[in-house]
Formats: sequence, C-alpha cells, structure tokens
Amino acid sequence: MDSRDKIDRREFIRAAAVLAAGGGAWMAARPDAEGMVWQIDPAKCIQCGRCATNCVLNPSAVKCVHTYEICGYCDLCSGYLQPGAKARDTGAENELCPVGALKRKFIEEPFYEYTVDEERCFGCAKCVKGCGQFGNGSLHLQIKRDLCVNCNECSIARNCPSDAIRRVPARRGYLFKQWVSGEESEG
Amino acid sequence: MLRPEKKAKRFTAYDAGWWAAVGVATVSGLFSLSVATLLIVNYLQIQAINPLDNPEMLELRRQLAQAPEADERLVQEIRAMDLLARKAFFTSQRHLNMGAYLLLGGVVVMVIAWRIAARCSPKVPQPAELPPPEASYWLTRARARELLSFSGALWVLAALAAAYFTRLDYPVPEDRPAGEPPETTVVAERAYPDWETMQQNWPSFRGPGGYGVGIHTNTPVDWDLASGRNIRWTAEIPLPGTNSPVLWGNRLYVSGADAASREIYCFDTESGEMLWRRAAPPLAGTPAEAPKVLKETGYAAPTMAVQEDRAFAIFANGDLVCVDADGDVKWGRNLGVPDNHYGHSSSLLAFRNLLFVQYDQRSNGKLSALDIESGREVWTVPRATISWASPAYVQTAFGPQLVLVSSKDVRAYDPMIGRELWQVECLSGEVATGPAYANGMFYVASEYSDATAIRINRDGDTLVPEIVWQWYEALPDVASPLAVGNHLYIATSRGEIVCLDAETSEVAWFEEYDEGFYSSPIFMGDKIYAIDKQGSGYVFRPGDSYELLGEPKLGQETVATPAFTDGRIYIRTKEQLVCVENPHDSGN
Amino acid sequence: MIYRLALVTLALAAVLGDQAGAEYRFPMPEFESGYERPQMEAPPPKLTSPVVDVALLAGLMALTAFAVLKLRSRNWVLTLMVVSLFYFGFYRKGCVCPVGATQNVFNILIGDGAPVPLLISIFFLLPLIFALYFGRVFCAAVCPLGAIQEACAVQPVQIPRTAENVLGMFAYAYLGLAMLGLYTGTGFLICRYDPFVGFFRLGGSFNMLMAGGVLLVIGIFIARPYCRFLCPYGVLLRWASIFSRRHASVTPAECIQCRLCETSCPYNAINLPTPAVQSEPRRAGARRLGWMLAAMPLVIAAAGLAGVLAHPLLSRLHPVILLAERIAAEQRGDFGDLTIESEAFHASQQSPAELYAQADAVRRRFRAASAAFGVFLGLAFWGRMVRLSVIRKSPDYEIDRGACLSCGRCFAYCPVEKPNDVAA
Repeated sequence: MDSRDKIDRREFIRAAAVLAAGGGAWMAARPDAEGMVWQIDPAKCIQCGRCATNCVLNPSAVKCVHTYEICGYCDLCSGYLQPGAKARDTGAENELCPVGALKRKFIEEPFYEYTVDEERCFGCAKCVKGCGQFGNGSLHLQIKRDLCVNCNECSIARNCPSDAIRRVPARRGYLFKQWVSGEESEG
Repeated sequence: MLRPEKKAKRFTAYDAGWWAAVGVATVSGLFSLSVATLLIVNYLQIQAINPLDNPEMLELRRQLAQAPEADERLVQEIRAMDLLARKAFFTSQRHLNMGAYLLLGGVVVMVIAWRIAARCSPKVPQPAELPPPEASYWLTRARARELLSFSGALWVLAALAAAYFTRLDYPVPEDRPAGEPPETTVVAERAYPDWETMQQNWPSFRGPGGYGVGIHTNTPVDWDLASGRNIRWTAEIPLPGTNSPVLWGNRLYVSGADAASREIYCFDTESGEMLWRRAAPPLAGTPAEAPKVLKETGYAAPTMAVQEDRAFAIFANGDLVCVDADGDVKWGRNLGVPDNHYGHSSSLLAFRNLLFVQYDQRSNGKLSALDIESGREVWTVPRATISWASPAYVQTAFGPQLVLVSSKDVRAYDPMIGRELWQVECLSGEVATGPAYANGMFYVASEYSDATAIRINRDGDTLVPEIVWQWYEALPDVASPLAVGNHLYIATSRGEIVCLDAETSEVAWFEEYDEGFYSSPIFMGDKIYAIDKQGSGYVFRPGDSYELLGEPKLGQETVATPAFTDGRIYIRTKEQLVCVENPHDSGN
Repeated sequence: MIYRLALVTLALAAVLGDQAGAEYRFPMPEFESGYERPQMEAPPPKLTSPVVDVALLAGLMALTAFAVLKLRSRNWVLTLMVVSLFYFGFYRKGCVCPVGATQNVFNILIGDGAPVPLLISIFFLLPLIFALYFGRVFCAAVCPLGAIQEACAVQPVQIPRTAENVLGMFAYAYLGLAMLGLYTGTGFLICRYDPFVGFFRLGGSFNMLMAGGVLLVIGIFIARPYCRFLCPYGVLLRWASIFSRRHASVTPAECIQCRLCETSCPYNAINLPTPAVQSEPRRAGARRLGWMLAAMPLVIAAAGLAGVLAHPLLSRLHPVILLAERIAAEQRGDFGDLTIESEAFHASQQSPAELYAQADAVRRRFRAASAAFGVFLGLAFWGRMVRLSVIRKSPDYEIDRGACLSCGRCFAYCPVEKPNDVAA
C-alpha cells in the first residue's frame, strides 16, 4: 500500500512536470518565430578584417559580394588597386586583393567590370574598405548562406567591434546593399 | 560483450585478432599523432607569419608607393613574393583541410582497432579480489563529505581572490536616484565661459576667437628688455617652440618640444615661476620617431588653447594632449602623424564644449571638433588642401562661424555640427596666415596669392560669399592680417606694414622696416602691436595715418605672437618668456 | 540650455541624415555595348528540415530506450550512437543540439527574450521528457557530444567516488554560468565553449580543438569527462532522470550480490549496497544531518556573498566592460596601440561617459546575477552534502538514476538471466 502511494505520487510529479514543461514551451515558443540566420549589415561594417579569421569555418563563410547596380565601373577602382598604384592593370604590385579574388574585365571605354571569385575570397574586406573610402561602396561583405553553418552563437558576431552582425529571417537571408535613388539601404 | 577467459595454451584466433588490432591501433595512432603534430605546426606557422601580411611584402609595397615611378626591379620582386605568399596561403589552407580528414580517418581506425583489441582481451571482474564492500562504504562517504566541503571552501576562496585582485577600472558614474533616465545625466550640464570672460583672458593664438583683437586699453607701449624697463619678470622655457603663450586667470601655458620629447609648461603670471611642466605621455599611435619637420617650424609650432581648467596642446607628431590646471593629463589622442613637409603648425581653438583642430595635410586632412572633457570626436569633416594656418571663431551677424584658411580656399563651418557654410577659392601657394575679420567682412592674405576681402551675404537659408576686392602689392608670409575698423593691416616678412582701406583696398599708408614680421599684429583696445623678428616692437594707432605710439625693444629673436591681458603683455622670444607691465600698474 | 541641446541634437541628426542620403561618388554608367550587369547570387541555405531533426531525435531516443530497457543490449546502444554521431555530429555539424537549445529556451525566461521557434523548445524538452520516463537515454546514444566521447572511451577506469562527487559540481557551476551569461546578455557560453563542435565541422579555433582533443584523450580512460563533470544540460537531465518511471537496471531480476558488476560502471553510477553495520552511532549521523539542514541559510548567505564578491571578475566576460576599461585606460594615457574595438568606439557617436554608464548598468546586472549564481552553486553543494549524509537503506547493487547514462555496460556483467528466459 505504502509503495503503491509512492508510485502514484511519482507518477503525478512526472505528469505534472511534463505538462508544465510542455505547456511552458508551447506558451514561450512563438509560433511566428521563424528560423533566423546571421547576416552582416553593410551599413555598420567597418571592415576590420575579423570576418576572415573569426568564423568557425576555414575559409570563412563571409565573402565579398558586389552590387553591380551601385558600381561606377571605374578604371581607377579603389577597391581593386593598391593606393598609389603606379599602373591600372592586373599586376600583383597594383592589386589590392591579397589572393587575387577580385577580377577586372574591360567592358567598354572607360568602364571595367569587377567580379568576386568566391573560391578565393576569404572575407578580408580590404577591397570593401577601398571601395567604401573612395568609391561608391558597391563591394561589401555578406555571410554566404550556402556556406554558413548558422551557429547558435555566431563567432564573428561576437568578435565584431561594430555590432554589424545580427540575425535576419532565414527566408530573407541577406542584407545586400541595393541601389535606391540617392540612398543606400538594406536589401 | 563479456567473454569467459580462455586459458589458451596455443595461439588462438582471439590472440591473432588481438595482435592485429593492437598493431592497427598503434599504427593508426602514430599516424594520427603525426598528422595532428603537422596540423599544429602548420597552425603555429600561420600564426607567426600570415603569408598575406608578410612584413617584407608590406615594406616593398610601401617603397613602391613612395617611388616617383614604377621601379621594374621592385615590381618584379613584389610579383615574385606575392606569388609565393598566395601559394603558401592556399597550400596551407589545403593542408588544413586534407589534414583534418586524414586525422579523422586515422582516429576512427585507431578507435575501432582499439575497441576490437579490448574485446579480444576482455577485462574480467574478479569479485573475489575486491575488498568487502562494507569496508570502505562509510569511509568513502565521509571522505566525499570532507572533500566536498573543502572544494566548496576553495570556491569561496577563489571568489575572495577574484574580489581582491579584480578592480574594474573605468570611471563609475555617480549613483543617481532611480527612475531618472541616464541620457539626461550623461550630457552633464556645465556652464562654459561666456565671450566676456574669454576676452578677459587670452585663450588661444591671436587672442579670443583667434583673429587678433583684444579689449584691454591699458597694455604698455614702452619697454626695454636690455635695461629691464617695464619688465615684470622673465622666465626660461626648457624646450624650444615657436608657439605663442596663452593664458587663463593667473596661469600661462606654453609648450616646447624637440625630436625626443614633448612638454607643456605652466607659469604663474604674477611671478613668472614655473608652476609645473608635464611631459606628454606616449599615446596610442604615437610614432616611435618624430616626423621630419622644418627647423624653423620645430616640433611645437601650434599654439595651445586653454579654457578655464583645461589646456590643450598638439605637437608635430600628431599627439594631442589635454591637461588640467595642475598638469594632470585628462586625455590624449594621437590624430595620426601629420603628412606635412614643414611640420604641423595650425593652432588649437577651444570654444564652449568643443576643441577645434585644424589638421590640414597633404592627404587625409581633416577638421575635428573634440569634446573638451573627453577628447571624443563630436564631428569631423575632411579637408582637401594642406595649410599651416590657424582657425578663427567669429560671431557674425549670421551666427557663429569657424573660419579656416587652406592653401587654396577659405571655408567657414558651423562650429556646432561642422556643416560647411560657405567657401571661396582665392588662395594659392603655401598658406600659413589665418583670417582677419571686422564689420561683416573676412580678409585673407598670403604670399603668392591675393589679399582678398570677402563679404558674407545671406540668400534665404544659405550664406553667399562675395569677393569685394583683391590686392597683391605687399603680402604676408607668416604674420596673419589684422582687420580693425575700416582698415586692414598687413605685416610682411620683408618688413613692410601696410594699411589698406577695408572697403576699397586703397592704401592708406605704408611703412617699411629692416626686419620682417613673423609675429602677427594684434589690436588691443585702441592700439596695434607689431613685433619684428629681432624683437623690436611698433605700437601705433589704427587709422588713416601712421601714428607711432612706442618702439619697445626686446633685442631677442621673436616669432611668436604675444598674449595680452589687463595691463600686461607676455612675449615668448626665442630664448625667454617675458612679462611686460606698465610702471604705474606695478604698484598694485 | 536644454533648448540648445535639443538644437544640437536636431542639427546632428541632420548631419547624419545627410550622410545616409549621400549621393554616390561616381555616376552609374550607361553602357553602349549592350553590356548587362550580372545578377547578384544569393544562394539559399542548405536546408535540413527541422522536422527531420526532431523526428530523428525522438526516434533515436525511443530506439535507445527500447535497446536499454527491453533488449538490454549495449551493442544496440553503440549502433544507435554511431548513427547519431554521424547525423547530429558530422552531418548536422553538431549544431542542433538540446544542450545548446537550453540557452535559447532559458533566454526567453531570463535573457533578452528573443523568440524561439517551437521546434527548438521541443528539442530542448524531448530529452527531458524521455529522461522522466526512461532515464538518460539521450545521453546514452543520441547526444553527439556524448557519442563522440563514448566512442573514444575504450579503456575506461573508475575514478574514486569522492572525486566523482567533487568534480560533478563543475557541471552545476557551468549551468549557473550559462544562465548568468543569458541574464547579463554576455552570450551563449555553452555554445561558445563547446569543445567538440570543432571536430564535427572538421575545423575550428585552435583553443577549441585543443580543449576538445585533451578531453577526448582524457576520455579514453576517464570516460565522458564532459558529460559527467561539465555538461550543464546533464544537470537538468540528472534531475529528470531521478524521477524516471522506468530506468535501466543492472540486473533484469533479483540481485544476487555476486559483485560482478561492482567495477563495471566507469561512471560510478552503481550504488553499492548499504552495509548492515554503521560506522558511527545513529545519533551522531542524525546530529550531523541536523546541523547541515540548519546551516542552509548560512550556506546560501555565504555563497551569495561570494558571488557578489566575484562579480567584477565575472563581468569581464562582457565585452562592454572590457571596452569601458580599455577606453578608460586610453583616456588616462596608459596607451598601447588602439584595439579594433576602441577604434570602432572612437569612430562611433557614443561618448565615453555613455559607455561607462552602459558598463555600469551591465555590471549591476552582473552583481545580481552573480549573487544568484553563488546561491545556486551553494545550494548545489549543500544538496550534495545532504545527500552524502542521508542514509538510504538498500541491500542491493542499484543504479544511481541521476548519474546513470544508460550506456548498458553493466548488463553483460550480471549473471542473472532474464525472467522470461528462465521461464523458457
């Protein structure tokens, strides 16, 4: 009899705990809370270079992306060329990208197209800095969704000095710079 | 699974399995160990020198950037090194990836083999050999309690040690009653000195506002350093500097520097006693070696600024330091080593809560307004052209304006937010002279460009500058022009003093002396002071004709502009700091 | 004065607005050659449906429970463990796990309240519910962190029970720290210091990999060191498992006191039978227990005080505190180079005074949280002490339901046959 009571009491505790926990979870979890993913806000990024080294992946899931709509297609591209470069060509002494991931292609006089080779890019942001300082800022960093493992605590977000990395809804995925007349805004 | 132990007399399949498994485990273990070692070595190498930020390469790139034109040898060297660096980078990346898979494979094989080996020689329990459970049961529990209490005590001890050794080292804001929003308390209410108080003092280069106009009428017109006539005191300044004295109350500040050290000095205005000297601390970004400067400019050319109990000094290497009246450093920041072939010489200017720093350089020039309490940047605007001139803060009919001269133009900014109000491109050459202002007109003048009079008009919300006249017959090089009443006064490096009609540029009078003027002419109440390079002063009345009131003498080389207060003048010569005073005032 | 401030604020806003609306420096060209701008690529994430994760979690746990309770087969447990190690470990890269989800769930309660998808809270709850019914089957074979350690535990040895008790307290400390991290907004410490996730991703920070490697090497002999001595989720599972409805037992029937299982458990999770003879008079033990119960307020007070004392050190976990100290040092003039953080701060609109105020607010939160952390840890110590002082009479070799990881090692050691086998 005694042990019977004990078992009943335990059963009750268990059921109560499960109900409370489950109910609590149901209440606490917001059904509208969708999956969130980490992304870089280009407006806040200060191009410190930590994205290249602080991502848990090697090479980093952060790559340079190019909003062609904003690009001036300049011959003298401050994102492509070293400051004070003596010639505007593809010579290693003139290139800003340390791994040659930014490609330059002649389009028509006097315009050049710049594309990012993501196989090589490791997110050091040197070109982004150059482009933002003296150009239109069309090059910027983004976390590539197909590479990112979406950690619960993003290692580069934690190490970002300017709080530029935040969660965005998964179906949005990116915070691309977009061309809006006279104004930069997130995409 | 437990298997009964077999007392095998001969070599069984189990033994063979065991030996094979142990062999495989050993080999794969050694393999994993070596791969892990290689990975660690690879990692450490990359840590030591990242091939992409190889210092040699950076040096080569710097050399190339500085070279006037591409040096083929240098270019080839960079290309070769760049190729190597990229190869090293991508190879090491590949090694890391491959190594990770190899290591994983090795460890998996090792673990499986080890497990097989363990199964082939199972550990068989021998209860008979165990001590009886009763023997240690109570003892174990007692020991566990003891150890647990002991470790709990260690945790507490660790907390005590943490409390003892950890001091959070930042200024803790004062406790405030709850409910008060912190925003209102952060922007501390503080009464800044008004314009009248600033005029009683000499807070910056060329006086309050920095355009050469003071209010006192009782400053002496006659003195002689050699005989000591009307000299109240003299004092030595340890380190050289071409900056001018500034003062607030009874404290006078100058700075001095050489290539190795930078110092701020504070003198008692009554006695000339040096109250303290403060070496500027090394700041973040302070270069190991001072930049090259022209000898005439020196390492301490910019004049300090002072406001109440805060004094500010900037040096040739870009170090900006704030000290209080006791010489304690309140904040400091290096603004970046100036890219300036003569040496930075623009003076500081403080007004209300802001310290204005004109930082014109060959590239990346800027004008910054810093919070005087913290040194934090309140606003910054880029400046395109280099100059050596100092800013002026002028209360115009259209509100306060911060007016800056560069080697190309004059620009006025809203001092609160740094918005550009107007600009005129009327200068060329290398400009070191600041602006003059009187009656709604700004005047600039510098060698190799025209003296220009600019009137500011308002058109709706915008201010529109209008060039009233330009004139080019005698132009200053170092001494800034001075506008008083209806006249503009120019003292040149060739020894000329010219007085022009402010409205028409008609020459009112023209005097010529043997020595040139570096010290800027200053208007005090009712007279104008100009001191030439040899320390000879000329005090004259402003007006249509040249009326000399006195010719005081210092007999020492003088390039700094004096500071003027009630009845006294403080002059920095190349050798000394001199305080001049009217004889009938000394009795007080 | 206030009017003037408002004016300045307005003017500043105007300046900022101007910057945001800046025209592009170079005009965007119009091409005559018919060139068209490439489209930007926005590859979507590699999708794994969270429903699959949850289904696998539940399925694997159910199978493990079946393997432990019905089949009593360690081989089945090991097999399921390998499956989980592959899926939750190497395939899902260790990054959907109830251990980490603990933080997301508690973050709703004590942290910044970021909304959590329902599936994440289910992920957190399912192992606990299973533990309430079947013991820690999640630990046994489903947790990837446990699996990788279990895989490496090839030569496990028993450590002294005394040491087991003391080391086990670190898990409580870790749980407390993780909660402190949530409350103070420091971050998700459990994820940050997850030692094994680097192996699943085949790469990670050097320190993380080294820590994980050391734990695994230790784990060859001292099995599952993370689970036993560190895992914060394990603390919750332990509590749940104590009340489990059905739990694995060493013997399928009656214990015959053969002592064969005594050394079989590397986790010290088999309670030895209580000896009939006590080492001290009953009254001495009762008196000790009485003192201990009476000392509870004292322990709580001391531990809370210790927590408050330690809060400055703990608050250095928070980046704002570190930045404030850094900026203060820079302002005082003890300068090294600027760090990236301080550079970013100087470039921001924030003033040091604001930063210090913010840091102080964070510090206050730390003070409260550290006190709670101290009390929690003190209670944990006190509870463990009480448990070591209470005599629970049990003549048999019984499983310690809280500590048992349901790994199934002991099953093979019991010579007693299953009852139905006997019947057959």
